[in-house]
Amino acid sequence: MSQRFKLQINQLPVVEIDAGSSLTLLEHLEQSGIEARYHCRSGFCGACRSVLHAGNVEYINEPLAYIRPGEILPCVCRVKSDLSLEH
Amino acid sequence: MRYSTFNQTNVNPLGEPMFFGNPVNVARYDQQRHSIFEKLIEKQLSFFWRPEEVDVSRDRVDFQAMTDSEKHIFISNLKYQTLLDSVQGRSPNIAFLPIVSLPELETWIETWSFSETIHSRSYTHILRNLFSDPGKIFDDIVINEHICKRATDISKYYDDLILHTQLWQIHGEGEVTVDGVTYDATVRNLKKKLYLTMNSVNALEAVRFYVSFACTFAFAEREMMEGNSKIIRLIARDENLHLTSTQHVINLWQYGDDDPEMKEIAAECRDEALAIFTSAVEQEKEWASYLFENGSMIGLNKEILCQYVEYIANMRMQAIGFEPQYKQNSNPLPWMNKYLVSDNVQVAPQESEISSYLVGQIDSEVSAGDFGDFDL
Ligand code: FES
Ligand SMILES: [Fe+2]
Ligand SMILES: [Fe+2]
Repeated sequence: MSQRFKLQINQLPVVEIDAGSSLTLLEHLEQSGIEARYHCRSGFCGACRSVLHAGNVEYINEPLAYIRPGEILPCVCRVKSDLSLEH
Repeated sequence: MRYSTFNQTNVNPLGEPMFFGNPVNVARYDQQRHSIFEKLIEKQLSFFWRPEEVDVSRDRVDFQAMTDSEKHIFISNLKYQTLLDSVQGRSPNIAFLPIVSLPELETWIETWSFSETIHSRSYTHILRNLFSDPGKIFDDIVINEHICKRATDISKYYDDLILHTQLWQIHGEGEVTVDGVTYDATVRNLKKKLYLTMNSVNALEAVRFYVSFACTFAFAEREMMEGNSKIIRLIARDENLHLTSTQHVINLWQYGDDDPEMKEIAAECRDEALAIFTSAVEQEKEWASYLFENGSMIGLNKEILCQYVEYIANMRMQAIGFEPQYKQNSNPLPWMNKYLVSDNVQVAPQESEISSYLVGQIDSEVSAGDFGDFDL
């Protein structure tokens, strides 16, 4: 069985995703059914800003929007571990 | 302190703050204190577009079919955007260039302002297509009270910073009296004015366009004014990048990653900066009331538009360290997002009404005659 990551988004029930998923974290947020915030979907506007409480992500494009401590830009990163975040 | 267009003191660009250090001398980007600004320059250049590449000719029919209240909404928004971009096409240059100290930031400011001039030219492109004489529309911008009220609020911080900088350049550090009025032209006070100006520009880029964007995209949802909507999408993409730059500047100050004195000033001026933001939000809501005073348009009304402004404002306040001030945390106009995705806006060459596409502009055929009497 392929490895799964657990996503804890806001206070919602945990969702599981495939560890090898090529989707961005933003796309997973959308699939989880929450109302995702976004504009550019390419890392420069900052509209998708979220707070990462635990876990790791990997950027697939360099984020240009300012990232305050603890924040991530879901539109340009992939999930690399179990995550807990506030979107 | 006098401005020099080529400061001959040898300065270490890595040790300079963003503003009020030494004037920039060599435009060099091999070593950068804040390399983000060069990345923004590259992004902005990659966004380059020309209004003439977008075919707006079909909009004329749509415009003629609009109700009077819809025409009022459409034209008023264009006037307001014209004002915003008139200010933004010049002010960052005039206000920030004399006091900037990093080459990458200096060039970003110039690139940013330049992109605003493209926005300005696009309004003429749109209006020329709708009216045989767009003159009256432009003339009204400086006499329409609803627009003028905003104009003052938008330009006053810039104007104040510019005046104090000029006094400081001519008379030097300290108090200076001109025509019986005494001004505080100390660097500390100038930095404070800079902080407030940057917050005012940030609020402009963050919320001031969005009432107008929402109306444009609401027309586009009904498949109306699609040429115009394409232009506004290109503008919205640029504005989001401009906003990112002001957010970077403000955050770099707040976190003490630039000039330590600016960190103090950011803390000192926090309430004032918040008030600048909330008053921009209130003005945009007032603008929504003015737009809909003769009736609304399909898909939008004043209430929902005000909710959208609050939703956008909340996100953008958090980006510079403020608590969200409004209760609107969900997006009341979900269809807006698709017009703001950056990949969705490409100008297709075949849509262009003119034959000279950007990429086709470089004439690769060189004939012997082109060299004239050039001898080796
Ligand atoms: S949607 Fe623009 S940065 Fe993520
Ligand atoms: Fe603009
Ligand atoms: Fe702008």
